[in-house]
Amino acid sequence: MNRAFARLAYRLLLSLHPASFQDEFGSEMLWIFDEEYSQGGVAYMFLDGLISVLRQCVRVEKNPGQMSIASGEIITGPGIGAVRFFQAGVTLSLILFSLIRLGGHPSPFNLSVRWSDRVPCYTITLQAPSHAEVVLESTP
Amino acid sequence: MKSEPPKRPPLSSATLHILLALAGGNLHGYGIIKEVTRNSDGHYRLGPGTLYDNLKKLMDAGLVADAATTSSSKRKPVSSKEDDRRFYTLTRDGKNALAAEVDRLQSVVREAKLRLQEARTGKA
Repeated sequence: MNRAFARLAYRLLLSLHPASFQDEFGSEMLWIFDEEYSQGGVAYMFLDGLISVLRQCVRVEKNPGQMSIASGEIITGPGIGAVRFFQAGVTLSLILFSLIRLGGHPSPFNLSVRWSDRVPCYTITLQAPSHAEVVLESTP
Repeated sequence: MKSEPPKRPPLSSATLHILLALAGGNLHGYGIIKEVTRNSDGHYRLGPGTLYDNLKKLMDAGLVADAATTSSSKRKPVSSKEDDRRFYTLTRDGKNALAAEVDRLQSVVREAKLRLQEARTGKA
């Protein structure tokens, strides 16, 4: 894997961690990644980083105040981990829908996004063959 | 009457390895990873995510502290590159927790040896 690409991918993985954790340990984790890369074999670090993201998000979900108290930062609300997962899911879905469109198939979906208190709210309208509509709307 | 110290739950293997690594002296994150690999003859590989996740928990529990904020002597950096690295140190509570865990493991080994011996003599 190209070094610059691997570093960018790892930085993206780090950016998924809660802000307080990133501020405290992000630069050190990236430094260790660089050191390990020069010695070869960083595949395990991506898996380790992914597990770390899941652990951190679960911890923030379970105890939203804990991380912020430790680092003096304010975390905006309890479902921050869920919002991140939801955003990742919607992004992935958008890519899939785009690919379907590029393939020439008519898309049965219509997606709109509106912002509420800095949290994106997604509305997905699914057009069924019988012209009935199913509307899925996220709440902030 | 002397009150007994509260019993701690057994430490996880990552936590135990980190505390063991720091028992030898103050280390930065990468130093801990290297020390853990060396102590386990390369059988246990600690990733940075697992390391810092556990370090955070240990620091919150008061078992590990930032070496710069403690009065204990700071280890001299080996190179100038290490100057700005954050060093971690084992606190008094951390040393006690490590000693308690080693005692617990010793009793497990003692019990295991006894049972194996019994199994062998039973067979013979």
